[in-house]
Amino acid sequence: MDMQDGNVKMTQQTVDRAMNPSDAIERTIRVQTRDVTVHYGAKQALHGISIDIPERAVTSFIGPSGCGKSTFLRCINRMNDTIEGAKVGGTIKLDGEDIYDPQLDVVELRARIGMVFQRPNPFPKSIYDNVAYGPRIHGLTSSKADLDEVVVSSLRKAGLFEEVKDRLNEPGTGLSGGQQQRLCIARAMAVGPEVILMDEPCSALDPIATAIIEELIDELRENYTIVIVTHSMQQAARVSQKTAFFHLGNLIEEGVTEDIFTNPINKQTQDYIMGRIG
Amino acid sequence: MTDSTMTPPRKATKIGDALRRRRNAADLRLRIYGIAAITAAIGLLVILLTTLFLGGYQAFVQTHIRVDFPISADNVDPGDPADGNYRAVVRQAMSALLPDVSTPAETRAIAKILTNNTQFFVRDAVVRDLSVIGGTLTLEVPAADIYDQLNKGTISRETLEENRRVSDQEIAWFDELQAKGAVSTPFNWGLIFNADSRFPEIAGLSGAIVGSFYAILVCFLVAFPTGIAAAVYLEEFAPKNRWTDIVEVNINNLAAVPSIVFGLLGLAVFIQTFGLPRSAPLVGGLVLALMSLPTIIIVTRNALKAVPPSIREAGYGMGASPQQVVMHHVLPQALPGIMTGTILALAQALGETAPLLLIGMNAFITSPRLALWMPPPLCQLRFIFGPIVRNGASLRVHLLAFSSCLHSFSS
Repeated sequence: MDMQDGNVKMTQQTVDRAMNPSDAIERTIRVQTRDVTVHYGAKQALHGISIDIPERAVTSFIGPSGCGKSTFLRCINRMNDTIEGAKVGGTIKLDGEDIYDPQLDVVELRARIGMVFQRPNPFPKSIYDNVAYGPRIHGLTSSKADLDEVVVSSLRKAGLFEEVKDRLNEPGTGLSGGQQQRLCIARAMAVGPEVILMDEPCSALDPIATAIIEELIDELRENYTIVIVTHSMQQAARVSQKTAFFHLGNLIEEGVTEDIFTNPINKQTQDYIMGRIG
Repeated sequence: MTDSTMTPPRKATKIGDALRRRRNAADLRLRIYGIAAITAAIGLLVILLTTLFLGGYQAFVQTHIRVDFPISADNVDPGDPADGNYRAVVRQAMSALLPDVSTPAETRAIAKILTNNTQFFVRDAVVRDLSVIGGTLTLEVPAADIYDQLNKGTISRETLEENRRVSDQEIAWFDELQAKGAVSTPFNWGLIFNADSRFPEIAGLSGAIVGSFYAILVCFLVAFPTGIAAAVYLEEFAPKNRWTDIVEVNINNLAAVPSIVFGLLGLAVFIQTFGLPRSAPLVGGLVLALMSLPTIIIVTRNALKAVPPSIREAGYGMGASPQQVVMHHVLPQALPGIMTGTILALAQALGETAPLLLIGMNAFITSPRLALWMPPPLCQLRFIFGPIVRNGASLRVHLLAFSSCLHSFSS
């Protein structure tokens, strides 16, 4: 009971301090990983990653292509389970609960940890059905009106509602790239996740759509724990409070975003940020 | 790099001219080939349809003769109408139509102007409506095949009498009937609704059509769900190991097995081992299902492979279970491809002859049950399976049997 009270108080504090990004790291730890390794067959893709992901903040993973940042992201909601021959070692805990526990229901886990992919991938269904799909399969709503409300509020949170409110029954694949990506974000939020993982969400988008999504991420930070993989250092600097630099399957450096970009400790990080490698 | 080694930039125009001409000519040639191919295909189709129609249009009409049958109580007992002397009824009716005929031999001959089954048609009509007993019953009855041929002009009147299948006397009788306005040539519905018969004038395709329909129905009901289930499991759920590799290789090999081998299999397994009846569309359908199963599995797997992985990822990312991802996203996306492949496989199965010959699907069926959709008279399994078991002919097998007869005669 005391613990919980403490948590609540702490959460309250973190909200107050959210104004100051450099304090992000002090927040409650939502996802904790220790010595995470990933093998694809005989090839080792990740060599012991240990990192804490704070709640109600944006954590970004940066690094050159093939450094394992996406692989690591996909470990957090066990998406690597779907890849043939992938083996994950180490521990990953969500709120202190081991997510690789064989007792744990992976379907429930993925409802708690939503994911947005590199390329917008709406289902070839209507905009409404895209957003309603998650609540439907997880049985989150009791009536049609309830479902309507979830769909509208999710689209609103994703900043898409005003643009699509007259054509909710048109296919989601008919939207522009940026709108599709926001639809995917709305779809992920419709099941009420606690953590949202974003795998290079802007890499297929133009600068204007990117700016809109970044703004959206900044807003969502108030209510969600967000992890974003990006290959744009500017984006990491703009949206995140915490940054981790990956290189060749190793976590080289992690810390408050400002520190990483202005005062990196590690030589490799420095080189990458200065544009000398990657 | 020094100036002396530098070549001047090539002029694109000079070389380009010849290249462009060649390219345009190649484009034109390709287009001409295409148009030529389509023209040839259409031309051949027109020739085929024209020969079919010119050779066979007469089969679509049939010579009928309207006859008033006197149903006297002497011949038909109202207490037992099915057991009446209908042969006598037919003779009396024809004698009334052609009053000049007197000798018993001639009376028998004029009865044969009508199809042999006339007595049964009359009997059935009387049983349906007992009120005609004591009065007359007017029916349009198909003429026997030689009179039909005579009427259509395929038996020439100019041929010498001894070379002709109808005598001068018979022609005279027929002309008399025609003069009385009793002869008509309506559309030949019997071609579609009658089954096999020894008498050409009342033979039709119904047995073959019904047999083919039931066989393909059984084939679809067995092969479609099984094929899709197998393909979905192999493609979406099965671990990739040596066993699934073996299964995959075997499925691909089965698709290349000659169809007659499946006929042998059906004969050995369904008929010999399980004791299912010969000539049954149930067995035919099962054999065709085995034959089309590998094709359906292969096309379904390809259709599933063609679904972009991003859709699966999106589903898993939303927390859908593998079953939900397959049923909600992957299968609906793959369905058009699956349907195309299935239709091709079923069309191939429908046209298949060799395996069906081996399980006796060229049976001679005179009483098919057309109506599968009608409720069976009694809720017994044998009534449900009755039509499937009995209607054992296939249209394709009939045609093949027919053409092989022709071949054996000509050689």
